[in-house]
Amino acid sequence: MLKIENLHAEIDGKEILKGLSLEVNAGEIHAIMGPNGAGKSTLGYVLGGRPGYEVTAGSITFNGEDLLDKEPHERAAAGVFLGFQYPVEIPGVSNVQFLRESLNAQRAQRDEKPLSGAEFLKLARAQADALGLQQDMLKRPVNVGFSGGEKKRNEMVQMGIIDPAFAILDETDSGLDIDALRIVGDGINRIMRRPDKAVLLITHYQRLLDYVKPDRVHVLADGRITRSGGPELALQLEREGYAEVAA
Amino acid sequence: MTDVLELPSTRHEAWRWADTGGIAAAAALAPVAPAKADFLDLPGARLLFVDGVLDDAASDLHRVRIGDLTPGDHPLGRRATHGWSLHLDAGAVADPVQVVHVATGGENHLAAQIVLAADTSAQLVETFVGAGWSNRQTRIRLGHAARLMRAVRMTQDAGFVSLRDDAELGEGASYVATVLGAGDQGARVDAAITLAGAGGYAEFGGALLTRDATKQECAVRVRHAAPNGQSHQLWRAVAADTSQASLAAAVEVARHAQKTDGEQSLRGLLLQRTATVNLKPELEIFADDVKCAHGATVGELDARALFYMASRGIPAPRAKALLTRAFVADALDRIADDTVRDAFAADADAWLERAL
Ligand SMILES: Nc1ncnc2c1ncn2[C@@H]1O[C@H](COP(=O)(O)OP(=O)(O)OP(=O)(O)O)[C@@H](O)[C@H]1O
Ligand SMILES: [Mg+2]
Repeated sequence: MLKIENLHAEIDGKEILKGLSLEVNAGEIHAIMGPNGAGKSTLGYVLGGRPGYEVTAGSITFNGEDLLDKEPHERAAAGVFLGFQYPVEIPGVSNVQFLRESLNAQRAQRDEKPLSGAEFLKLARAQADALGLQQDMLKRPVNVGFSGGEKKRNEMVQMGIIDPAFAILDETDSGLDIDALRIVGDGINRIMRRPDKAVLLITHYQRLLDYVKPDRVHVLADGRITRSGGPELALQLEREGYAEVAA
Repeated sequence: MTDVLELPSTRHEAWRWADTGGIAAAAALAPVAPAKADFLDLPGARLLFVDGVLDDAASDLHRVRIGDLTPGDHPLGRRATHGWSLHLDAGAVADPVQVVHVATGGENHLAAQIVLAADTSAQLVETFVGAGWSNRQTRIRLGHAARLMRAVRMTQDAGFVSLRDDAELGEGASYVATVLGAGDQGARVDAAITLAGAGGYAEFGGALLTRDATKQECAVRVRHAAPNGQSHQLWRAVAADTSQASLAAAVEVARHAQKTDGEQSLRGLLLQRTATVNLKPELEIFADDVKCAHGATVGELDARALFYMASRGIPAPRAKALLTRAFVADALDRIADDTVRDAFAADADAWLERAL
């Protein structure tokens, strides 16, 4: 589904990704772990097409298509969803409006009919309920004044509504309380654990992986994948640290 | 061709950002077919002026009268000597007054006078369409506890709209005015508002949206001449291309106007770096027990928010439109009437469609 080959990317002339290769097949969930500053979020932004993140070499194909050729909004419509490590606040734009605009913009790009206000609200309410996000937070401006954990739940509500084929979830578990972690873990499984979907789960901790069992675990250090393995690799990392395992 | 050379030069502080060249060019615009007059679905008086002349057949005056009015001494306002007036006697309740100004090229001048006696209230909605120089002088006198709500939208296709307002508020009177510049004409919103009686309340603000090479400005001065008054000047300026939007808002508090609460919030948004936003909040305070807050900031659209929206599938022009609408929402939300507010919001949306 996703194939990254020898990816080099820089920000402001500074190389962050230094020859990263990774392949994720449909039906798989891959975890990416690695030290602070290794380039994990950068990988997510490059996949999403964030301006300022310049790819200098390598390729990314998504379902056989060149992903780098597409604008960020086109990547979303093609099925790529980026769950942000730091979700952005948008004063003056309500969550409901933002999400309806998002979904209908994607549907328009795929030549699908827009959802009506009523259809959309039904969908949004169901997803908010499933992820334990208070209904009134749908009416509030996007992420404004949300707690850290609420922002992360909101990301998952968005993912549930958009129903993407592929999700990069950047530290979705950080900032969540114990109950929220389980709810979000269940949400990821419910929305994304499908034969035709795949997930790249960026995390620092095993605890999320107790709920969302990864098929593969990779260590990203200094801009490349330095080690890959099965679920047991995460446990080993937690026990022994990056220095020991993936130096 | 008009004698625009009689206008003060831009070396005068109050005319610093005035586009006198734009006025001259507007006055010289060739005739165009009259634009359609769009009245909102509100009860009350409907006045249609085509080039400053009342279209009797299309108008319904209710309490409004037409006649000569005393010109002021303002360089722009004094050109308007004839127009409409609304006088309400104490306790009278009036339906809204809607005025549509259609310009068909060249220049036109029109005066208005609104005199509200004690405990009356009125609502006024004005719309400018067409092309040419539309010049207006509006004199407002509010008696004890009288209330006037006014909304003005400038949506001409070309030319210039100049407004000169002169308002005096009696004790406990309230004047709430919202101005929207969402056309392709230049504009000068020039207002002097005096809180002459104690406990007056004035809100004068709005949004100026400029694109291409147009220039719009507000030059507003609120004078607190009595104690316990409150004034709010909340303006938003959005400038695209090589346009210029300027906001000059002054608050003057006289020595005995104690307990005055004056607020100015001026914010600008540059849609391109080639555009210009000028902000000038000004305070002249001679009383010692006052609360005056003012803020002035210019910025660009938040790049992180734009990427966040793009990552959810929203194309850049739409994302920019949503953020820009949110930026001006504060100003338009001041309009209390749903019908009027929706119409103004739709004008702002239409402008964004064209500009982005
Ligand atoms: N605008 C920038 N200019 C220069 N360097 C930058 C810029 N933005 C990020 N970086 C650097 O890129 C590197 C990778 O950052 P990134 O956010 O991808 O790390 P990460 O692996 O997600 O770390 P964490 O686990 O702390 O979230 C860091 O060293 C960071 O300082
Ligand atoms: Mg990170």
